[in-house]
Amino acid sequence: MSDPEPPSNQPPATESSPTPGHVFVTVGSTRFDELVQAVLDAPVLGALRARGHSRLVVQCGNSEFDAGAFARAGEDWVRTAENGLEITVWRFKPSLEGEYEHAELVISHAGSGTILDVLRLGKPLIVVPNPSLLDNHQEELATALASLGHLKAATIAGLPEAIVSLADAKLVPFPPFNGSRFRELLDEEMGYLPSDSES
Amino acid sequence: MHHWLVVPIILFPLLWILRPTLRRKPTPRRSRSKSDPCRLAVFLGSGGHTSEALTLLSCLDFSRYYPRTYIISDGDAFSAQKAIALETSKAAGSAPQPTNTPYTIITIPRARRVHQTLLTTPFTAFRSLLACMYHVYLRPLITRIAFADILILNGPGTCLMLCLAAYLNRLLGVPSPRIIYVESFARVRTLSLSGKLLRLIVDRFVVQWPDLLRDGKRGECRGWLV
Repeated sequence: MSDPEPPSNQPPATESSPTPGHVFVTVGSTRFDELVQAVLDAPVLGALRARGHSRLVVQCGNSEFDAGAFARAGEDWVRTAENGLEITVWRFKPSLEGEYEHAELVISHAGSGTILDVLRLGKPLIVVPNPSLLDNHQEELATALASLGHLKAATIAGLPEAIVSLADAKLVPFPPFNGSRFRELLDEEMGYLPSDSES
Repeated sequence: MHHWLVVPIILFPLLWILRPTLRRKPTPRRSRSKSDPCRLAVFLGSGGHTSEALTLLSCLDFSRYYPRTYIISDGDAFSAQKAIALETSKAAGSAPQPTNTPYTIITIPRARRVHQTLLTTPFTAFRSLLACMYHVYLRPLITRIAFADILILNGPGTCLMLCLAAYLNRLLGVPSPRIIYVESFARVRTLSLSGKLLRLIVDRFVVQWPDLLRDGKRGECRGWLV
């Protein structure tokens, strides 16, 4: 339920213009209290500041978090952290594409739709699988893609360290969408000759 | 938790026994000329399932695969919108299609709604199966227009009902689509429940991570498809 954009039949996007210092956190359509609270707490804020980030935007979905220190600005919660990081929290928007494009770094739950969208935009990504999900195949995907070097997988407790070490790590570029694989498979299944294919 | 499975659990042994008959594919593979269209049906299972299914479709030659039938679960406005968005973007980049109604969207009841009580689930699963049989068997019989030549499934549970309906067509000896199941990109080391069940009976079973085939049972992997 995580990606509100149309399917990617447009050419694969290359890295788009990020806003300097901008970090985006998303939990998709789910609820992930631990991740939302962790990114608002001092260790993560300190790690982000240490890496030169100045602005944190959090899409929190249905998560609960400690909103006490925040001011309301319309639908948003806003505050400036002690270390100067500007924080904005909101629940949902129809599309997150623009948020991904602005971001220099994305931190997300391990939803496969979010992972595909962010990696195809060429953005550095840290995923935190939700340990409270029963059928946690999310963790398998995160681990597999991390071992291929396309992203960093972290636990809640390990998130500050993942943020600090990410800047020094070299992420492997994610391959663009290859539509010909399924097209050839289906054409073959339905008896169209390969020579008939569009170029 | 999965009480709706009662219906497929009753029907699967039947299909298993009849497998030799079913594997004698009623629509044998033949070579098609470039201009010979293929009727396509796809189940959009909501959320990530819908996104992946539409990404698979996005690369197909729509002047070859038409008309297209999008099957969605009742109340799933998200999937309907995304299907229309795909059709609109594909139409914008190509010549007008050789038919006035290149696609339709049909709605079937869910096999099991989220938070539904377990007691009533076999009934909703059965109602879902009946709706599938209407679209796959009865309606084509009345209108004399085949349901589809190819049916693409990628989960979740409700897609089992479509698969069962298509197989009942085979048992009854009426035209039935070939069925292809594509496991989600998110499944790396363990198959989904739909995948485990449908692997036994679909015509083609496709996964996106090779580890899923390490048990040596049927299936194929051509890498990432989305």
